[in-house]
Order: sequence, then C-alpha cells, then structure tokens
Amino acid sequence: MGAFLSTPKAWPAVLTGRVAALASDPGDLDAAVRAGAFEGLRVAVRDLGATGTIATVASSGLRGRGGAGFPAGEKWRAAANGPAGTRYVVANGYGADPAVRTDATLMAADPWIVVEGLAIAAFAIGATEAIIAVRAEDTALVTRLEGAILAAEEAGYLGDDMLGSGHGVTITVRPVQGAYMLGEETVLLKALEGKRGQPEQRPPFPTERGLFGMPTVVNNVQTLAAVPFIVRDRGAAFSAIGAPGSPGTILVQLRGPEGAGIAEVPLGTPLRELVKLAGGIGSRSLKALLVGGPTGGLLPADLLDTPYDFDSLRAVGAHIGSGSVVIADDRACVVDLARLLTKFSADEACGKTIPCRIGLRRLYEIGDRVASGRPKPTDMALMADLAADVVASGLCDHERLATLPFTSGMRYFRSELDDHLLRSTCPAGVCHPIAVGAGASTPGSR
Amino acid sequence: MSLVPGMGIVRGMGLTLRRFFAPKATIKWPEQQADVAPKFRGRLQLLYDEYGTLKCETCFQCAQACPIECIDMGGIDTKGRFHVHWGPPETYGERREESAIRRSGRPVADAAFRRFDPIDTAALDAILERHDYDPMAMLAILEETQAEYGYLPVGALKHISRITGAWYAMIYGTATYYRHLRFEPPTVDAAPAGEAHRAIEHAYRSALDASLGVGGRAG
Repeated sequence: MGAFLSTPKAWPAVLTGRVAALASDPGDLDAAVRAGAFEGLRVAVRDLGATGTIATVASSGLRGRGGAGFPAGEKWRAAANGPAGTRYVVANGYGADPAVRTDATLMAADPWIVVEGLAIAAFAIGATEAIIAVRAEDTALVTRLEGAILAAEEAGYLGDDMLGSGHGVTITVRPVQGAYMLGEETVLLKALEGKRGQPEQRPPFPTERGLFGMPTVVNNVQTLAAVPFIVRDRGAAFSAIGAPGSPGTILVQLRGPEGAGIAEVPLGTPLRELVKLAGGIGSRSLKALLVGGPTGGLLPADLLDTPYDFDSLRAVGAHIGSGSVVIADDRACVVDLARLLTKFSADEACGKTIPCRIGLRRLYEIGDRVASGRPKPTDMALMADLAADVVASGLCDHERLATLPFTSGMRYFRSELDDHLLRSTCPAGVCHPIAVGAGASTPGSR
Repeated sequence: MSLVPGMGIVRGMGLTLRRFFAPKATIKWPEQQADVAPKFRGRLQLLYDEYGTLKCETCFQCAQACPIECIDMGGIDTKGRFHVHWGPPETYGERREESAIRRSGRPVADAAFRRFDPIDTAALDAILERHDYDPMAMLAILEETQAEYGYLPVGALKHISRITGAWYAMIYGTATYYRHLRFEPPTVDAAPAGEAHRAIEHAYRSALDASLGVGGRAG
C-alpha cells in the first residue's frame, strides 16, 4: 500500500509522517508509538483538558476535509455545548468517489493516526461512543482497524479509562455499503441508524441532533488525522502550513495521462504543481482540470495558478470535494465529460428532493442531446436556468455541486459548447454529432 | 320511401336549418363557465415529448390527488429494480390482477395469489434475538437476513416488521435503497461485499478513463 507519491522534501507531512516508519507492518503498535503515535492524545488528556483541546483545534484553523471545509473547532464546540447525555463521534471514511482511494489508503498505511484523532475528538467533546465508517468491501481494512483498536485498548490508550483520564470511549468499526450518497454526513448517520440513506434538512445540525437524536460530530478521516499533529504542537506549527484561510495539508488523488497516485500537499499549492506531481501532461497540451470528483468543476489551462484551497477553488467554480484532480489533455471533450459526470450524479441521487431527482436527470438529457448533435437553439440558456434552479432549491451539497461540470464548462469552454450547439461539431472528435444543418440526415463523425 | 328526386337533400338541409336555430353547446369561456361536476378534472392523457419519451415521472401526485382512486400506475424504481405502486405494494398487484381476471369472467386461481411464499422463520428469529429486536440495528438485521436466506423474502420483511414493531414501509424503504440488498435470489452464488455497487463504480471509472484517454487505473 505504499501508494503515496513522493513530494518535495520541503513540504510538511502532517498526515503521512509516520507511513515510512510503519511500512513493514502498519498494525505494529510499538513501532507506531516509537514514531510518535498517541503523543497528541497524551498532551490533550494531561495538559490541555477537554476545553483546551477544542480551543487549540479551533485556533489552528483546521477545516473539515470532507469537501465543505467547515471549521472543525466550531463543530466540536457546538457538540460539546449541547445538553449532557450520550454523544457520538463518527469518522467518515466511506470515500464515496469511486475514483478516489485517499481515505482508505491513509487508514491502511497508518491506522493509528485516525484512531488517535478519533480518541482526541471523543475526549474533547465528551463522547463515549466513536464509530469509524468504512467501505464494506475493504475487508482487509476493517480487520486492520479492528486490530489497531483492540491493541490500543489493551495498551490503555483507549477503553474505559483513557490514559488515566477517567474518560472512557468505545471505538467501533462499521462497514457500510450500497450507495454513493453515504459520503454525505447526514446520509451516513441514517445508514448507521439503519434507515434509508437520504439527507436531512439542516438545521438542526448533527452536532445538535445527530445519530439516534444525540449530538454527533461527523468528521472526515483526514480531518481527524490532522488533530494529533495540531494538539502535539498546540496548533502553531499547523497554522503556519498552507494557505491563510485554509491551513494544513490534504491528500489529493491525482490522475493524468502521464501518471496517477495519491500525494499529500499543503493547501494553497498552485494547481500547476499538482499537474507536475502527476507526471506532467506529456507531449499534448493541457485542456482542462477536473477538480473535485464527479461533482467537480472543469478548469481551463489559464487557471493553473489557482491555489488548491477551499475558498480559491470555490471562487473559480470548482471545489476540493473528494480530493480528486484529473488532468485532461486535448483528446477530451468538455461536453462529453460533463455529460458523463452529470449522469453519474443523477444515477446516484437518492431521490429525496425533486430538483435533484428530476433536475439533474433533465440536465443530463439536455447535455446528452447537445453531445449527440440534436441540440435546440435555447439549450445553453435552458441549462443555465436549470442549473441555477437546482442550486437554489437543493437540499444537500450533492445536488448543488452536481451542476458544476456543466456550469464551469459553460463558463470556461464556451466556444467548445458553441461548436456543439450551433455547428454540431466536436472539436476533440469525441462526440459523434449528426449533421442537422442543410437537410443532411446521414450520421457523420464531423 | 319517397322516390321524388331531390327529397333527400331537402331533408338534409332541413336538419341543418333546424340545428342552425337550436341552442348551441359552445360557450364563451372563461366569461361563461361550463356546468360540470366539481370533481371533473378533464381528460386523462399521457404525454410524450418530441423524442417519443414518456413525460410521466411516475411521481404518483395524480394518483394521490385522484378523489375516486381511478388512477393507478406501475413502473420500475430509479435503480431499475422493482415495481412501484401507489398504495401498499404487497396488496396492490393482487387486488388489480384478481379484479381484472374476475371481470374477464375467468375463475380466479387462488394459489397464484398467495401474498408471499412462507419461510422458515427460525433462523430469522435467531438473528432478531442477536440484535435484541432493536429496529435501530435494521441495516445489520437486513444484511444478516440476506446472508441467511440469500435474498430478502417478503415474508421475512413482514416478520421483522411484526416482531420489531418497525413499520413495514420503513423496512421496505431501507431495503430498496441500498444496492447490496436484493429481493430476488442471486444469479451468482455468494457475491462478495460491495459487489452490487462496485459494478456501477467500475463502469464510472472506465467511462471516465475512456473519455479522458487515460489508460491506467489509479492505485
């Protein structure tokens, strides 16, 4: 599982720092402790206390790595301030994007960092139950995590009396499967409750009424993995890494014509550097970057200097999303790509709200008729209207973001869309539009 | 009867002339309102778009609103798996088909309209006892039931509903939502975990690769 790409020496390794030391056996507790595991938990329990830990995480500026970028410290504080009773912490390691394996790879290479982050979070908000949700098909990963939790309990790091703090936490691994939407936090909670996976209206947020109606913190695996580093150095070293608005590092799944892999990069790294990490673009010219997975935005080559962080990407019409960056050269067609992504989003929609269930389906159908050479003259305006309506009336981020492939395509690749719409041609030669002009009725490739 | 030439046309024109002065059915809507029953909602029609695709979304809003319940429809759900109906699914098909057969005058064959195949519930009871009859563990109960019986028989869902107190509709909703839960016996033996969803994800990955011209798959 040594699947991490090597990054420049100067780049900090917050998440993957221990991977090399654990390369021979990631399940070895002694080796992990020698490499610094559970030091953060010790600092949190002995020196900081629960409120001190939350304050440290809040001051470090850690933002949720699940895609939305919500400040983790605020989330913890909201849950900690809730009414007393059972509280839950859930580590979301489902990793919904089928082309991205960052979370699972991290947990397999260093299960301790996630377990420790989860223990610190549970200690900070006063949760007695912690759950790691992983994909059911990763049976090896489930076994490894369960082994790690058992070993840590026997060594006294977890269990009824965590490091002598008097606070007890039970960590369970819950394999979940069967739907793409499980990556969304309220959907994951529904699945853990044994209900159908459909998102809930917010507020109330899960920090107020979450799993089984109790205050629940749902954090991505990478968010929790950054917590030990933050607590160990009291947040100062972490804030220094990355962009001002979004400190820290993130795992990126790169995929390009010349190479692919997972790399840990500081937030705020320009997209150009990410392309270089993936082996460059080869002899062809770069056409578009798909940033953010199936619901990501398509960015043109002249936006390569955009920093890879939450706010900058949102501003240009993309998002961190699943942490996937796909490099497309001039063989790719933007309309075809956006159609494929929208179809995936529409197929995977849970069907709770009408803008998502019907709106995304219609968006795909309009894109499909544009790509197959049967466009209507008003299709561009229709797509823009429909996308705006879906965004305005969406319930969860899935549908709001699922319009991004087409909206960013219309924003940056207008001439290519015009070729499809007005001239029924595909510059990349991917789509096979039928020539509808001049009464021609035979299908032609160009 | 009469053989006088031109008499037929005179009779025909006579009818025309009578109708000409008779009261008309056409009204000046909307200034004038037609006198129809308050329940009347116009003619039922299924519309097709210009590509020949049925415009009906099977949203059941018409069936829900219909005061005399004359609208029903059947279809498949968004996963292409199961028939959807307005009303309780386990009674719907029976009611419809039986009445259709009765109206046609044929005798109704009772055995064909058993509600569901009876199952041996001993194994299911053991599963429920392991989970303390707790509806909060429904997903685990359903997964173990499927592992035991190979699929989710309607009888098993009914039994779970009766024993745990969870609504049948909720259990049915959960079972239809997740791709790895099935209502028919599997075609291949013992599919590994996540298989149902993996095929879709693999299709997505290869389609993405194909559209990008990228050959290799990531780690």
